[in-house]
Amino acid sequence: MREDMRRIAIYGKGGIGKSTTTQNLTASLSTMDKHILQIGCDPKADSTRMLMGGKRQRTVLDTLREVGAENVKLEDVMQTGFGGIKCVEAGGPEPGVGCAGRGIITAINLLEENGAYTDDLDFVFYDVLGDVVCGGFAMPMRQGKAKEIYLVASGELMALYAANNIAKAITKFAERGGIRLGGVICNSRNVEKEQELLEAFSNAIGTHLVHFIPRDQIVQRAEINRKTVVEYDPESNQAKEYFKLAKNIIENDDFTIPTPIEYEELEKLMIHYGVME
Amino acid sequence: MRSVTINPSKICQPIGAMHATLGIHAAVPLIHGSQGCAAYPMRMFNRHFREPAQIAVTALGEGASVFGGRDNLIASIKNVISRRNPELIGVITTCLSETIGDDVEGIVRETIDEIEEVEEKDVIPIVTIHTPSYVGSHITGYDNALKAFVTHLSKEFDESDEKLNIIPGMINPGDIREIKGMLDLLGVSYTILSDISDTFDAPIILPKPSFPNGGTSVAEVENCAGACGVISLCEHAGGSAAKFLKGKYGMRSDAICPIGVSKTDRFIEAISDITEKEIPYELEKERGKLIDAMVDVHQLTYGKKAAIFADPDIALGIAEFASELGMEVVVLASSTSSNAFMNAAKEISDGEILNGNDLYDLHRTVREKDADILFGHTMCKRSIPTGEDNIAFVRCGFPVYDRIGYYRYGIMGYHGGVYLSDLIANAILDRYGQHG
Repeated sequence: MREDMRRIAIYGKGGIGKSTTTQNLTASLSTMDKHILQIGCDPKADSTRMLMGGKRQRTVLDTLREVGAENVKLEDVMQTGFGGIKCVEAGGPEPGVGCAGRGIITAINLLEENGAYTDDLDFVFYDVLGDVVCGGFAMPMRQGKAKEIYLVASGELMALYAANNIAKAITKFAERGGIRLGGVICNSRNVEKEQELLEAFSNAIGTHLVHFIPRDQIVQRAEINRKTVVEYDPESNQAKEYFKLAKNIIENDDFTIPTPIEYEELEKLMIHYGVME
Repeated sequence: MRSVTINPSKICQPIGAMHATLGIHAAVPLIHGSQGCAAYPMRMFNRHFREPAQIAVTALGEGASVFGGRDNLIASIKNVISRRNPELIGVITTCLSETIGDDVEGIVRETIDEIEEVEEKDVIPIVTIHTPSYVGSHITGYDNALKAFVTHLSKEFDESDEKLNIIPGMINPGDIREIKGMLDLLGVSYTILSDISDTFDAPIILPKPSFPNGGTSVAEVENCAGACGVISLCEHAGGSAAKFLKGKYGMRSDAICPIGVSKTDRFIEAISDITEKEIPYELEKERGKLIDAMVDVHQLTYGKKAAIFADPDIALGIAEFASELGMEVVVLASSTSSNAFMNAAKEISDGEILNGNDLYDLHRTVREKDADILFGHTMCKRSIPTGEDNIAFVRCGFPVYDRIGYYRYGIMGYHGGVYLSDLIANAILDRYGQHG
């Protein structure tokens, strides 16, 4: 594995727009001549769908189930999507059965054994399901698999609560594992004073707001067309926002060990910015 | 394919890792899991080797399963160090700690830092070995352990020390002594990674030392990088460590399981080739004695139909020896499924090949093929009627607990081959009489 390869994990509350943001981000980076591997770590396996033109790909764990761990081949589970981005879906069990956390551990181990992390890669992205709920979902943070974590959030209590929780997990691995929080990405839901709130929250947990992505209908339109905004309409304002995000991430040099806050403090922030009465 | 296993043929990963760890002098395997994960293998060792095994466990309970095993692991490491004063701890994971996703490396580092800060001195090496039992078998666990040891402990060296590394795999103390005997005759100095010959077959000496006087020292493992080569006797159990040593330090590497005449020949030649030592007359003499033993029993063994069940490399070795004795290998079965075994087995036998199947399948196939003699461990006997009126039975592998002393004698090398040849002939005599 190349030492200067940027290893990035994107975490955030379920439904916050992690996959949309990550795909638009990697699509933007690919237009800047970057070589990227994106690994979806979510049993829903829809992290790379728009990069693949809507095509659902075979997940690592489906393949494992069908042919057995010994016979998993990289070409069966890794497809090339928009901008030459290598796309992998870890996959996972059906809802209500099995252990999705273990699935992530198994999938990442299999990718390593099969040499997915080639030297030509500039970036590896892990797009990880929801909150860190168990040890398995922290896997991308461990043993240097990801070095930078970005939190996707918006101006609502539960989104910030989840982001704060992930910050707690990061502190566990930061001192020894060497991982750092790279910042917060706001995927706006169009509430008042949202940017100010997110900036205040970012400061409170010891990091900064990497970029504020405004809400725009074009995201849904592009999604219906099974494309990222960057591919669907690269001239649009929204695409420019994603380019800006990509640029900020390339240039980012503010990596910190986060300082998660107490729930009461989080509530105070929400009240201060008028989100909560 | 059946969706149920009847009488499993394999044991779980941690037992292999414990086996490997107990071959290091004054090492304690610390099982990071629930208590049964330590109690069952410990009992298995006791029954096979008739020897105590010191195994510690973090004893994860319901609370730790929910909240993570961090506190248990930290407390256990501190306890083991202060009470046992070992020279190495192998932290061996289990199904539970793997599934809940404990960051074992991180917790171990944290504990080391904490102890070093308080005690102001270096802590003994603590090596994490990942052994989820739902992957592979005991062989995989041994392989993972050896790889973890050499990766974690081996150090850069200035110049080669002309030693040869031998990775034995899950074999008996007797086998290791046979290997050492051959190396001594060749005049080769060596490091056995790791050496259970004196830890699992220790003398009773009073006052009782806190650890058996044997095993590979941590320093020897640290210096293994300077060796001129590495040979794994069981490629499935040690091959990954050999591959690591070859890749990182550029040493020569080979994998040969010296059971039978031709495989032992190849073993001796490979060592002679790597170390540039002449093959002494003494070894030729041993070889001649083995040939003599084989000729002596040939009328008993010739044409007998053999069913062989063992760990993959051992099974292939015995199969080759059985062929050398004029037997027909009608069933060749590996405890652990592997493509490499499948390919090699097809070369040796035209019979039925079972790749990681259970003992029920073994039993069925043995009957179908009307085998005369079965090679296997004690568990086989429980699923397959042996002895009078049934199939002749040669005990080998792990565990053998229905007879005493099997661990003491080796089946490897020329001298070990004589012992194996005798075992085979006597089993045939017991069952079929003088006239076969």
